[in-house]
Amino acid sequence: MASIKRVVVTGVGAVSSAGVGAGRLWDAAREGRSCVTPLTFPHPYRGRITIGAQVRGFDPTLYIDKAVMPFCDPVTQYILVAADEAMAQAGFDRSTRLGPRSATIIGSGIGGMTTIEAGIHNALMGTGRPDPLTVPRLIPSACPSNVSMRYGIQGPAFSVASACSSATQAIGLGLQMIRAGLVDIALVGGTEDHITNNAMYAWEGLRVMTPDFCRPFSKGRNGMVIGAGAGLVILESEEHARARGATILAVLAGYGTTSDAKDPVRPDVTGAAAAMSAAIADAGLESDDIDYINAHGTATIVNDSTEAAAIGVVFGDRAPHVPVSSTKPIHGHGLGAAGALELVVTLGALRDQIAPPTINWREADEKCPVDCIPNEARPMTIKNAMSNSFAFGGINAVLIVQAPEAA
Amino acid sequence: METKDLDQTELVNKIIDVIVAEGMVEREKVTMDATIESLDLKSIDIVMILTAIEDKFDVYIPMDGPFHDAKDVKGLIDAIANYIINEKKS
Repeated sequence: MASIKRVVVTGVGAVSSAGVGAGRLWDAAREGRSCVTPLTFPHPYRGRITIGAQVRGFDPTLYIDKAVMPFCDPVTQYILVAADEAMAQAGFDRSTRLGPRSATIIGSGIGGMTTIEAGIHNALMGTGRPDPLTVPRLIPSACPSNVSMRYGIQGPAFSVASACSSATQAIGLGLQMIRAGLVDIALVGGTEDHITNNAMYAWEGLRVMTPDFCRPFSKGRNGMVIGAGAGLVILESEEHARARGATILAVLAGYGTTSDAKDPVRPDVTGAAAAMSAAIADAGLESDDIDYINAHGTATIVNDSTEAAAIGVVFGDRAPHVPVSSTKPIHGHGLGAAGALELVVTLGALRDQIAPPTINWREADEKCPVDCIPNEARPMTIKNAMSNSFAFGGINAVLIVQAPEAA
Repeated sequence: METKDLDQTELVNKIIDVIVAEGMVEREKVTMDATIESLDLKSIDIVMILTAIEDKFDVYIPMDGPFHDAKDVKGLIDAIANYIINEKKS
């Protein structure tokens, strides 16, 4: 194993319903403070699900130049601001050119949904024509491309689209590229904002959205709440980080991904369990070494019982006692950004040695036999933490982070 | 769109029509004592059925309604039919 490079996290950034900054997101998660509010839409909304964790009060002109802005859908704006925060924490300034030994991989389920809808509205309603920069703005790869331009990243740059596993797979791919020696440093994460008239109406049609409260793992749960935002982490080989004297925040120790190959929308116990087991093996750990799990935990009836069963498969007799929380009632389901927002939260838990709570929890559900840290944060020793992402289409992805001193 | 007063039997037949069409099941299998499982109705099939019923009867069916607890066809149809009749009264 000596030839395989260890990969460390040296910077973290986020834009979310909690505001600009990874710290704000972690504070909300730790305090169990929900950022869900009534939603604001571009046009009068006809649907019935009218709550979500929307990015509010975000002024992109504070961060992004006039020349760049026309190319930026909100999802690109968010990821650039998250990248700036993470790069600053990692000790780089805005003049940094990372060059050919660097990569950026950004997950997004859709890409520029706001731009797509605005263009279609103009074209179909006869209110005008699409903005001339509609195409370069809506493409999902506008996100990594703009990150590459901002920091002179000349190695691999691309987007990953695997619905709710997008960000986790993007981060996992960055880990694999650095281990393989393809690059020394990677800016990886995810970004999403589907909170537009058509997209929300479409989500509502699936009947997976709660009209009132997102209650993961609780009896009486009735669906997920949508979120938006971006999260990004700086990954480096340990030697690259040490050579430049960077502060190591955590070790990204493991990544596992599997595909159920079964159903477009139904989750699967076997596939989810296999992804968790693969990540644990990739990190060179045993299931007993995992101290905390940040669950996918959407609060749909089927996800949570399936995820609990998968945890049962992987953790065996210990399954009912492994601390597991879902922070989705706080920051919403970030979809293609979810894995990045939740890795930011998981890194906060690792740093402060506090597992964030599953809020809105009311009563145990016998179909979810897990210790879901109900309603109150829990101070505890966390050496190794796992973050789960499971997507429509049966794509599962899991990351494991490790406290630097535990490694 | 059905806006006239609804007779219970007629309503049940219309609901069965929707289950057959949207759930893609054979009509003979949709007996009152058939379980949801025996019809191989997955959650996404129920979504399609409820959506079609909303469009056909111009009602809104909330996701936390009693439909999700139905174990057999009778339970599902009764829940839907009672809901539609109540909605039309109000």
